[in-house]
Amino acid sequence: MKRPLAALIILLLVLAVGAPLTTPPPSRAQGVDVYINITGGGTKKLNIAIPEFTVTTGTDPAATGKLLASVAGADLTFSGLFSVVAATGAIPADNPAALKQSWTDFAAAGAHAGVHGLVALRGARTEAEMRLYDLTSPEFRLIATKKFEMPSDQPRRLAHKIADEIVLQFTGELGIADTKIAYVAGPRGAKEILVADYDGFGVRPVTRNGSINLMPVWGPDARSLAYTSYKNGYPDLFRAFPFERRPEQTLAAFVGINSSPAFSPDGKTLAMTLSKDGNPEIYALTLATGTLRRLTRHAGIDTEPSWSPTGQQIAFISDRAGSPHVFLMDSEGASVRQLTNGGHHTQPRWSPRGDMIIFTTRQGTHDLWAISPDGSNPRRLTAGPGDNQGAAWAPNGRHLVFQSNRLGAFHLYAMLADASSEAMAVTHGSTEATSPSWSPRLP
Amino acid sequence: MFTRRRLASVLALLTLVVVMVSCAKRPATTAASAPAPTGVAGSTGPSAPQSTPSAPAQPNAPAASSPAPAPSAPSTAGGARPVPREFAAIADLRDIFFDFNKYDIRPNEAKTLDANAAWLKSHENMLVLVEGHCDERGTNEYNLALGERRAKATMNYLVAQGVQANRITIISYGEERPVCSEHTEACWAKNRRGHFLVKPR
Repeated sequence: MKRPLAALIILLLVLAVGAPLTTPPPSRAQGVDVYINITGGGTKKLNIAIPEFTVTTGTDPAATGKLLASVAGADLTFSGLFSVVAATGAIPADNPAALKQSWTDFAAAGAHAGVHGLVALRGARTEAEMRLYDLTSPEFRLIATKKFEMPSDQPRRLAHKIADEIVLQFTGELGIADTKIAYVAGPRGAKEILVADYDGFGVRPVTRNGSINLMPVWGPDARSLAYTSYKNGYPDLFRAFPFERRPEQTLAAFVGINSSPAFSPDGKTLAMTLSKDGNPEIYALTLATGTLRRLTRHAGIDTEPSWSPTGQQIAFISDRAGSPHVFLMDSEGASVRQLTNGGHHTQPRWSPRGDMIIFTTRQGTHDLWAISPDGSNPRRLTAGPGDNQGAAWAPNGRHLVFQSNRLGAFHLYAMLADASSEAMAVTHGSTEATSPSWSPRLP
Repeated sequence: MFTRRRLASVLALLTLVVVMVSCAKRPATTAASAPAPTGVAGSTGPSAPQSTPSAPAQPNAPAASSPAPAPSAPSTAGGARPVPREFAAIADLRDIFFDFNKYDIRPNEAKTLDANAAWLKSHENMLVLVEGHCDERGTNEYNLALGERRAKATMNYLVAQGVQANRITIISYGEERPVCSEHTEACWAKNRRGHFLVKPR
């Protein structure tokens, strides 16, 4: 058991050093050993045990200790990097012998790592400590510990932060459990924008204007959403601040459509589609100054801008070659080139890692495809059932959320971008959910 | 070490919140809370200064490491857009229909449009709102653009027939306002339409 894992770790370390695609902040990276290479496909999963958290202070009538373990466990499973070893009961507090016995049992059950969670319930505040152990080492070496604090009414967020820290410890990059998904909910003609946790919990409204609200897109600060709304009669662009008591801003209210907002990676520029000059064209709005630059000049439809992570290129959709296709241009609108051929392609979404562009292909129904920015390696990600479209990237560039009507009504699903995992349903119920946008990691 | 960094980030966050709250309290420093300005193509454009005076360029700038916010709402100034809900459909103006993923006027729809143009020319006191619609196939963003092109193509045809351009307003609803909700070609064909509403000047 030990030797193969050690060899795997060494191999993965070599890979990680050889291909440093992720650059965590230096301060966070210190003391973090990279055990899992998360850049490649077919990652071998690490078995991890998360018993219920040990309550060290206060009483736990709401079973927070159990909730923390189950939510963090679900997060780690969703990450695609871990298999969570089933567990019941908590490890007794301040009992090294009991702890050692637990890890011995979990190691025998195949666990490579163990999480001893401790939780102190202090009224309005809840503190939790995560102690991460290497169960492949003879003495069950303590790999890392970290403490967290959160208002007691947000235990799920506490669990998400713990899971993200565990992912950081094993991969060098924070997980994406502490994120939100914004989306559109409601029947045609009455669509509002909502925000939920990445796993669909904690739904709260962003708009409540009784109009048609479309295409929410997170700003890179994870504080604001740009979206199109008909609340003033026409499709105009607005910016909402879902976590603040701050009034909405009007971003663009020109004659015609004001749609398809896309923040540049540095948050300083908003690309958008306006038809004020005659037909749908892509423009770049410098937010600090209000300066508007027109990027496309073509008689056809140009829409759906999506920035490369460097901010130097923009993917977009144009019907200049007949049916809609994915094109690329630089951020000044020059060096235009066509990326996809044949068929009907929309909704380009450039990966945060920069290595691929997801788009939607229509062949009777819609399915997600991926292509490299140089036009190579086009590949299909979904093959039904139903329509699978409107993908948005998670900030780690490994997961996608998209809309599908595979079970009837449109709902949101999340999966690994290499389609190696089964899609997880994010939304449920009779109200349709569409047009997701995955937030950056929350501050 | 983690604790100290965490404290620092909490302090930074608090600073940010204080700055944001103080900004939010400031009365109308930006156009954010103002009614959506409206305009027509060819107006003064987005770089025109906001009507509210002394709007700071970056109200949140002091917040360390905070990405630049959108302080001002660029938009058009000038003539107001008519309010869509003040328009009403009228039996004299009939819908026209489009092929899938197309926005050119079909030859068999020209007769309908000719009749609509004639009616509009004989009712000079009426303004017309041309709505462009799509079926549910395709994607929302693209269909919004497609509906815009359909409305624009319809408007251009009416103008070519002698209807004054300044009497015509267009709006795209993309796939958001279908008249038929079944997932069949017969239904989709009804939804790919140009729709006409009028109101007195």
